[in-house]
Amino acid sequence: MSILLTKETRAIVQGVTGRIGSVQTKWMLEYGTNLVAGVTPGRGGEEVHGLPVYDDVYEAVEKHQANATVLFVPAPFTRDAVLEAIDAGIKLIVAVPEHVPVHDVLVMKKEAEKHGAWLLGPNTPGIISPGIGKLGIMPGNMFVEGKIGIISRSGTLSYEIAGLLNEAGYGQSSLVGVGGDPVVGTRMVKILREFEADPQTEAVVIVGEIGGTAEEEAAEFIKVMSKPVVGYIAGRTAPPGRRMGHAGAIISKEGQGTVESKAKALTAAGAPVANKPTEVVELLKERL
Amino acid sequence: MKLLEYQGKQLFEANGIKVPRGQVVASAEEARTAAEALGGNAVLKVQVPVGGRGKAGGIKLIDSADEAPLVAEKLLNMEIKGFSVEKLLVEEKMDIAKEIYLGLIVDTDTGNIVMLFSPEGGMDIEQVAEEKPEKVFRLVIDPTSPPPFYRLRPFIRQGGFSGKLLNELTQFAYNLLRLFLERDLLVGEINPLIVLRDGRVVAGDSKVEVDDNALFRHQFEVNFWEDSDELEKEAREIGVTYVKLDGNIGVIASGAGLGMGTMDLLEEVGLAPANFLETGGGITEELMYKATKLVCKNEKVSGLIINLYGGVNPIEKGAKGIVRAIKELNPAPPVVVKALGNKQEECWETLRSGGITVVNSVRTEAAVERLVELMATQKQ
Repeated sequence: MSILLTKETRAIVQGVTGRIGSVQTKWMLEYGTNLVAGVTPGRGGEEVHGLPVYDDVYEAVEKHQANATVLFVPAPFTRDAVLEAIDAGIKLIVAVPEHVPVHDVLVMKKEAEKHGAWLLGPNTPGIISPGIGKLGIMPGNMFVEGKIGIISRSGTLSYEIAGLLNEAGYGQSSLVGVGGDPVVGTRMVKILREFEADPQTEAVVIVGEIGGTAEEEAAEFIKVMSKPVVGYIAGRTAPPGRRMGHAGAIISKEGQGTVESKAKALTAAGAPVANKPTEVVELLKERL
Repeated sequence: MKLLEYQGKQLFEANGIKVPRGQVVASAEEARTAAEALGGNAVLKVQVPVGGRGKAGGIKLIDSADEAPLVAEKLLNMEIKGFSVEKLLVEEKMDIAKEIYLGLIVDTDTGNIVMLFSPEGGMDIEQVAEEKPEKVFRLVIDPTSPPPFYRLRPFIRQGGFSGKLLNELTQFAYNLLRLFLERDLLVGEINPLIVLRDGRVVAGDSKVEVDDNALFRHQFEVNFWEDSDELEKEAREIGVTYVKLDGNIGVIASGAGLGMGTMDLLEEVGLAPANFLETGGGITEELMYKATKLVCKNEKVSGLIINLYGGVNPIEKGAKGIVRAIKELNPAPPVVVKALGNKQEECWETLRSGGITVVNSVRTEAAVERLVELMATQKQ
């Protein structure tokens, strides 16, 4: 088993004909992902890497019983593309684009919640379940099938953690990128619940960043979890008040959303926090 | 992008939110002219993108225009929390009857917009929030169905207002909310919102942050970039995020998390970053060429660490840009590139044949260690 992206997933690619969309579609297919169609308005009837292209999500869902989507549309169009997918009944939505306006994300998030859809992102590397497939942009060569679940706010850092786990002989059940923006579709704690319930997953690594309170909220659930959880949080040396990238990584006030406040909450909940990525592996070893 | 007070007030004024009479100036002489226009009775406020300037001595009152040049001179030579003062806002002195707090923020956890209102505004609002939380009122706004004017009135009434003043304050709240929604603001705060003895109400200060990612759909009345750092301005043109820091190691990473993780690991070995530069998913040869050049424009940079993952990014193309930039730099600082992911072998080959040190371990520490070695060798 894995979470969210499973053997039952039938995914479409929104923005399949674009420069990034078409390359990533090729790589997702090569990785073995069950992609069933692509969507680009105005390009219906074409084919991309053997996938039929439709003009809208509704037709792709109707003809292929698609239940998941990964988006590679330009940031200004992401809101409407996500809302269309929600309206068409899709329950797993992976919004890869970065630079999506925050107010657009607010609307996407509310609509996804109202319809019970999982919205990962925006600004997410996506989700990968090694051995099953990937919906997103992570390099497949950085992941191996196994028993560790990873939840991450940062794409690049999660690749690093996965690589370190591989070296130590720990593969992954699923890696879920929640997205690096200030507001994202899904709270970390919801993913944590899925990993707790997943029989393949034996332990979870949380890759966090400064800003917000997602890690603190996750800590509340960790207290009642049966599986071990280890954390790593980037941004100890980031100055307060400066937005580190387009990311949500910002310490708005002294003492809030800092590495210290997050580490304190996680540690108190029984999830030790590594000072650097390599320590994640050591902390996991002690608990497995 | 955080706006300076005067920029925020320009935005307020253009959107029906009343502000005091005043003018922004950049020299002592301009300050005199501006003070004269206000009849000499004025307040001079430094324009810096950080809070706490009042407590740092950045706000001065004057009684005549003759005082203006000397006071302005002193203020323009100040540095507040690392920001040198470039501009002053010269405003009318106000006869204050009451200070109120009004603000709008995004609750990043729930995805709601929250309006905050307190009849006890002013410098100590944070203390009020802590000691008298019952004096701070919160209105949770679902971004998909913002409230009409009439729903804001009972909210503001909780502060103990009625009649004409209640109407006036509700108008401020409504106009601020409209501005916030229409212009994609991330923060919109008025503290203090001032009730004058003559009954007028004006925004005494402004704290506004606009969403850079939403600029494509707006025409703003304000030139935000006017006062930002040169390198940060250039970075925006290249399409990367650059934050200037105090140390001497240039940092380039293909993601925000990786960038911060790299900075944290530098600190572990006693090094400090000269900057944070994140490329996002838009790497091309040209982008990496310009980003490398940009980071090295900071004269303090005596070492450079580049940390990339090829997921969405073509690192093999980025490598060409790095090689080209380093070749053109004279002298070039010691450089270490760690790059993994799709087409990593091609990327390494390009870098190595360009004479650049490659680390192909997944451990960023290994790259940091290698950089320390290179820097030590160069010193000898």
